[in-house]
Amino acid sequence: MTEAMPSLDTAADPRAVMIEARGVEKWYPNGFHALRGVNLTVHQGEVVVIMGPSGSGKSTFLRTFNALEDFQKGSIVVDGIELSDDVRRIDAIRREVGMVFQQFNLFPHLSVLDNLTLAPTLVRHRNKAEVQKQALELLGRVGIHEQAHKFPGQLSGGQQQRVAIARSLCMEPRILLFDEPTSALDPEMVQEVLMVMQELAKEGMTMVVVTHEVRFARQVADRVVLMADGDVVEIAPPEQFFSAPQHPRSRQFLSQIS
Amino acid sequence: MNHRLLPLASRLRRELFATPLDGLISVGLVVGLGAGLQALLHWALTQADWAVVQANSTLLVVGRYPLEQQWRLWLLTALLCGAAGITWGLLRGRGWPRSDRLAAAVLLVLGVVLPASLGLTAPIQQRWWWITGLLLLGRWAAGCWGAALPLRWRRLLPLAWPVLYLLGLGLIGGGLGLMTVRPSQWGGLLLTLIEASFAILVCFPLGIALALGRRSALPLLRWCSTLYIEFIRGAPLITLLFLGQNILGFLLPGGLAPDRVWRAAWILTCFAAAYVAEAVRAGLAALPRGQWEAARSLGLNMAQTLLHVVLPQALRVALPATVGQFITLLQDTTLLSLIGLLDLLGVARAVMANPEFLGRNAEVYLVLAVLFWCCCAALGLGSRALEHRLNRHSLRSEP
Repeated sequence: MTEAMPSLDTAADPRAVMIEARGVEKWYPNGFHALRGVNLTVHQGEVVVIMGPSGSGKSTFLRTFNALEDFQKGSIVVDGIELSDDVRRIDAIRREVGMVFQQFNLFPHLSVLDNLTLAPTLVRHRNKAEVQKQALELLGRVGIHEQAHKFPGQLSGGQQQRVAIARSLCMEPRILLFDEPTSALDPEMVQEVLMVMQELAKEGMTMVVVTHEVRFARQVADRVVLMADGDVVEIAPPEQFFSAPQHPRSRQFLSQIS
Repeated sequence: MNHRLLPLASRLRRELFATPLDGLISVGLVVGLGAGLQALLHWALTQADWAVVQANSTLLVVGRYPLEQQWRLWLLTALLCGAAGITWGLLRGRGWPRSDRLAAAVLLVLGVVLPASLGLTAPIQQRWWWITGLLLLGRWAAGCWGAALPLRWRRLLPLAWPVLYLLGLGLIGGGLGLMTVRPSQWGGLLLTLIEASFAILVCFPLGIALALGRRSALPLLRWCSTLYIEFIRGAPLITLLFLGQNILGFLLPGGLAPDRVWRAAWILTCFAAAYVAEAVRAGLAALPRGQWEAARSLGLNMAQTLLHVVLPQALRVALPATVGQFITLLQDTTLLSLIGLLDLLGVARAVMANPEFLGRNAEVYLVLAVLFWCCCAALGLGSRALEHRLNRHSLRSEP
């Protein structure tokens, strides 16, 4: 499929390459071929939205970037570091790559503030008071400054997801991965999370987002990637992707979600 | 509407006599309880002869611990009670809620009435008064001024207990200038508490390690942990105790095999660890995978993830089952009497075998039951307080 999408991948873009996935193949232990030689390049400051039907491998693919999923063939280079089985290398990548999950995955036994400060103090060995100051600023940015001393269970889903984003930001990552960040939210809370993500995109954060939110993809994405059956079938700028999809699978997918 | 606010009569009607069947059950239970209690009191006050307990109280509590060295045990008791009072006060602060007033009253009654009813000599009775007073004084003083102490000092408190424990073992066993009292001279409640506390303290970390081993990604470690847990859980404790007494001596070269008392303590520890491991495993299994993934994706390494994210949550889930295991362990120490150690039950059997007190088994067994009940109730109360404290702030997050 690589030849079907010429100018949009790599070479022409002058920005630094942040993620470079080449021929990534993954089989699950039960033999299911989840990723079938996927290629993708993400540049610095770019927002890439991955869409596709469920079971297409988009979440699996996203989770290979920070080694939450392993893969058997191909290569992935993140921020200049090639992924391998070396634990230290994986930890180094994870320090620079934040991830936001569908189920938020906040630490329920820690206060909101401690959720944010845990990793920077432990992993980056930063001064606790200084991290707390930064954490409060971040919580202010995502609009939940006054909840800093509550526990995650006392917040709404939308608030929890914004805390999760702030928690990732507190590590000052160079890349943020979003794995269906709004799929577990009640409809009225989706917008508040998308707004935060849009702000981040404006500030130049490199983001890879797996989502079904067409409006977000249209307004924020630099490129939209459509995955089906474990491979990328189309990469296009959003206006082109949504108005004139090239691939039959893209047309089929768009007709199903609209 | 809060039922507690209703007048007594309508509360009674509501809770005991809501339907004819409820009423019947209530009346039956009250009559049964009353009859049982009356029979017990009648026996305890008219037929029972408590001389057997009065004459052997020292034996039951410390066994054959040398008389002239018993001041060490008194000192240890005073230290423990003082530390308990201070801990209590620091946890509760200035106020005395109803449960605390009740506990203080019970302690006062125990400290005064119990020594008197045992017919102890006046100086010894007075020692118990001092110790009870020290406990309550510690509670009061720490409650009043604990909050004023610098935070760094108060952080030392959890550390004080293990230090005190080691100090206590040193005081009991001697050495370093103190006369040595060999473990074979320990007995009674003292031995039971040493065995149980040692096993509880050591089996807990051991159980956590086994549970983690059983869920490890390394096959060999996983198999070994599983094999160990399943083997121990499949064997009766008494078998293991006999095995330990007989085989350990042959397996380990002469000097290395621990003394009979410590051998039993280690067997108890290894036995309980397998059960604790299963409780902790349940706690680990209850933790969503997302917690691991979130911690790892933030860059925390394996040890940090375990220490700061996984174990705090898993242990909270495992706490009730683990404490249940501790209580069982405390009661299992009575099996030590079967391998010839003079634990509480062992001493009691020796007392009952004394021709002077022939036929006074019921009195002795009743005292034993009450002593064990007190220890287990203390464990249960402690764990409930801990559980309450751990759950105080956080409601579980349900997306």
